[in-house]
Amino acid sequence: MKNFISNLGYFFKEAGRIIFSNKLSNIFTFSGTVLILLMLASVVAGWNVSSRLVGMLEEEAEISAFFDEDLDQKEALELAEKLSKLDGVRNARVVDESEAYERMKEILADDAGILELFEHNPFKAYIEIRIDPGRTESIIETVRGFKEIGYVRDNKSVLKSINDIIRGIKTIGTLIIFAVGITTVIIISHMIRQGIYNNRDQIKTLRLLGASPMFIGFPFICVGLFMTVAAGILTSLVMLILINKGYQIMGGSIPFIPLPPKADLLLGVTLVIMGVSIILGTIGSLFGLSSIKDQ
Amino acid sequence: MIEVKEVSLRYRDGTLALNNINLTVGDNELVYITGPSGSGKTSLLKLIIGMEYPTSGTVKVMGQEISEEKSDELRSLRKKIGPVFQELKLVPGRSAMENVMMGIRFLDFSGQEIRRNAADALEKVGLSHKADSMVENLSWGEAQRVSIARAIARKPRLILADEPTGNLDHDNAVNILNILASFKQKDTSVIIATHATHLIENQKNVTIVRMNQGSISVEKRGGKE
Ligand SMILES: Nc1ncnc2c1ncn2[C@@H]1O[C@H](COP(=O)(O)OP(=O)(O)OP(=O)(O)O)[C@@H](O)[C@H]1O
Ligand SMILES: [Mg+2]
Repeated sequence: MKNFISNLGYFFKEAGRIIFSNKLSNIFTFSGTVLILLMLASVVAGWNVSSRLVGMLEEEAEISAFFDEDLDQKEALELAEKLSKLDGVRNARVVDESEAYERMKEILADDAGILELFEHNPFKAYIEIRIDPGRTESIIETVRGFKEIGYVRDNKSVLKSINDIIRGIKTIGTLIIFAVGITTVIIISHMIRQGIYNNRDQIKTLRLLGASPMFIGFPFICVGLFMTVAAGILTSLVMLILINKGYQIMGGSIPFIPLPPKADLLLGVTLVIMGVSIILGTIGSLFGLSSIKDQ
Repeated sequence: MIEVKEVSLRYRDGTLALNNINLTVGDNELVYITGPSGSGKTSLLKLIIGMEYPTSGTVKVMGQEISEEKSDELRSLRKKIGPVFQELKLVPGRSAMENVMMGIRFLDFSGQEIRRNAADALEKVGLSHKADSMVENLSWGEAQRVSIARAIARKPRLILADEPTGNLDHDNAVNILNILASFKQKDTSVIIATHATHLIENQKNVTIVRMNQGSISVEKRGGKE
């Protein structure tokens, strides 16, 4: 359409007319979209915070492999090197007797005095293997298969619950994102259908005059986009206030969970919400537009 | 320009509106369709612009057969037609000017041409002073002239006017018919359905199509206009 630009004013005017010709219904659509986007924004913020937690938990997933005592230090290092190359292993390093001793001292803290009772260091060297918690079983199996490895100490129950938490967070997040997407698309496309129905006479006339579906439909796409983008902006503003309040109350950290820098979180949430608004607005409008053919 | 061959049109409720009619319209022709109310004038025009499809027979307009499947072809055909509907089909809530412009925004005109064509067309039908009035506030005769302006602003190759003078006083009716007739040119034809037979009695060099209960008889009048 060579005169698309010169028609922009017309398209926007028509879009405004469509919105205001059905004010009440569109106010509901708008508020509904804001509420849904707020839900999404909370998930995004929650995801952002919990992905740090997940990262932390994943880091913590480890098993200890005890090796034959007659391996010398060089051979032990070589073994660790080999283990670290396995699939699903983040890294593997040798913890020698004295480090093991120091660690236990740390863990026992005030009760460390008890270690004095031993004449010799009672701890053995081992290889500490950090792993992907999703693959605990198979990694343990493989590590056990090495002939130099005598005994593998795993924290299967701990690893399993770490894995469950991670999976749970991911599943709920994904579900909510899907729910938000589908609901928004339905709300917007319904609004567009309503607008098309209300303007059916005009649409029929334009078709008789030879206007393309693009020309007829563009104002409706503008309506869908305008509604979702406006809802996105309002949602972002509300989140700005909520996140600011949240950081004030928690003073920047929840026990055990490091909060991301506030600016990062705000930027992340705003970007996601605005991006999602634009995408969902477009998809919803296009879905709604398909009903033009029926008019 | 138009070839109607053995066309019948039966509406869904069983009414036979057109009964096996034949009609050919050339490239430089002025056609008046007359006949009593209910004789099928509007039905014939609807076939030509693709609002209805023939129950049997074929309708070809500018070489394009009118059929339900060819929606893209139908759309580009409609762009070349300037229709004046019996029930006007103006868009309420918009000014006369905006109505005329809306009908030509998607044609091959620049932004400037859109505005100029619309203003010229309104001036031609004598409505420049009402350009900014909302169409629902216009009298029927004025509204009718807006719809005529919308048709001629399109610079169409075929004007289809259904009862364009129905609500105009004698002078205005003559004036409007003259304006529409003036669009008959080398490659442009004009088809006007009208009850105003007294206004066309003495016209020369026109085609008169008389309709009666879905049948037609065609009279091609020659002579100097
Ligand atoms: N959509 C429709 N469904 C059923 N019957 C219809 C429909 N449109 C028109 N008719 C019938 O078809 C016949 C021809 O109607 P048409 O509108 O073509 O007449 P006309 O010559 O234009 O009349 P008028 O001079 O009153 O405008 C009439 O009997 C009418 O009742
Ligand atoms: Mg009629």
